[in-house]
Amino acid sequence: MKDFNEQSIIHELKIDALGLGIPIGSAEIFIKRSLSDAKKTLRTKTIITEKDLERAILKELKKYHADLAYVYENRDKII
Amino acid sequence: METSIKPLENQPPTCYNLNMSVLTPLGILILAMLIMAFLELTPGVFILFYHYTIGRFSRKSASRLSLFFILGTEIISACLFLSVYFLTSILFFDHPDLRNNVLTWIIVGVLFALSFASFFFYFRRGPGTRLFIPREFANTLIHYAKTVKTTSDAFVLGALTGVLELMFTLPLYIITSAEIMRMNNMPLPNTLLTIIYILSPVVSLFIKRWLFQSGRNLAQIERSRIKDKNFTRVLLGSSYFIIAILIICFRIN
Repeated sequence: MKDFNEQSIIHELKIDALGLGIPIGSAEIFIKRSLSDAKKTLRTKTIITEKDLERAILKELKKYHADLAYVYENRDKII
Repeated sequence: METSIKPLENQPPTCYNLNMSVLTPLGILILAMLIMAFLELTPGVFILFYHYTIGRFSRKSASRLSLFFILGTEIISACLFLSVYFLTSILFFDHPDLRNNVLTWIIVGVLFALSFASFFFYFRRGPGTRLFIPREFANTLIHYAKTVKTTSDAFVLGALTGVLELMFTLPLYIITSAEIMRMNNMPLPNTLLTIIYILSPVVSLFIKRWLFQSGRNLAQIERSRIKDKNFTRVLLGSSYFIIAILIICFRIN
C-alpha cells in the first residue's frame, strides 16, 4: 500500500508547469483546484489505486492546461 | 590466329571500379551517421532532463547544464569510437585471414539482428515512445534526469546514456572504423570523416536544445516524436539492413 502524498504531487506538477513555461502563480492555482476536484471525485470510493488517482488528476488537469495534462500522462512513457 | 590477353591486375582501374571503391564506404558511412543521428535513447533522456532543469532552475542554467550533457555524450561516443577504431585495426588488418570470414559474417549477423530489433523491439508496444531498455532502468534514468543539479551530474548523465546505446552503436563503430581505414588513400581524408562521424550522435541533441530555446516545450516535442515513431523505426531497420547487404555484396569474397 502506498501513501497518498499531496505535497509531492503538487511539487512535481509545479516543476512540470515551470518546464512548460506556465507562470508559477496560475500553475499553483489550477494544480490545487485539480487536486481538490480529483479528491472530490474519489471520495465515494473505498479502495483507490494509483491509476485511479492519476486518472482523476489527469481528467481535472485537462480542463485547465492540455500540455501539462499531456506531460503528466506521458511522464513515464518518454524513454 | 593469335590473341594477346592482358592479365586483369595490369589493367588501369575503370571508372566503375573507382566509383564503387569510393561510393561503398561513403554509403556505409552515411547510413551509419543517419542511424547515429536517429537513435532515440539519448534525445529522450535529454528532453526529459532539459524539461526538468527548466522547471527547477533558470533558463540560463538549463542551457549551461544541457551543454555539459551534450559534452558527456560526445566525449563518451568519441572515446568508444576511437577505442573500437584501434581494436578494429588490430582485428581486421593485422590478421588478414580473419578479414573476410568469421568476423565479417558475425557483424553481418548482428546487423540483421539489429535491423529486426529496430523494426519490432526498439520502441515498446503501446502509447508513448517507451524504448527497449528495462523499465526499472528507465525509471532510474527518469529519476536521475529529474534530480540533476550540477554540471558534473549532467555530464555523467549524458555519458551514461551514450554507453546505454552501445548495443545499437557498437557494430556500427566496428564497420565504420574498417571503412574509414579502407579510405586511407582516397580523396576524402579519413580524419575529416572520423570527426564528422563522431559528431553525428549529438546533432539531434543540438536540434532538441535549439527547439527548447526557441520556445517549444516537452509536450510539443514528445507529440512530434510519437508522430515520427514509425518513420524512425523503418529508417533504423532499413539502414541496418542495407549496411548488412552492402557488406555482403562488396566486402565478403
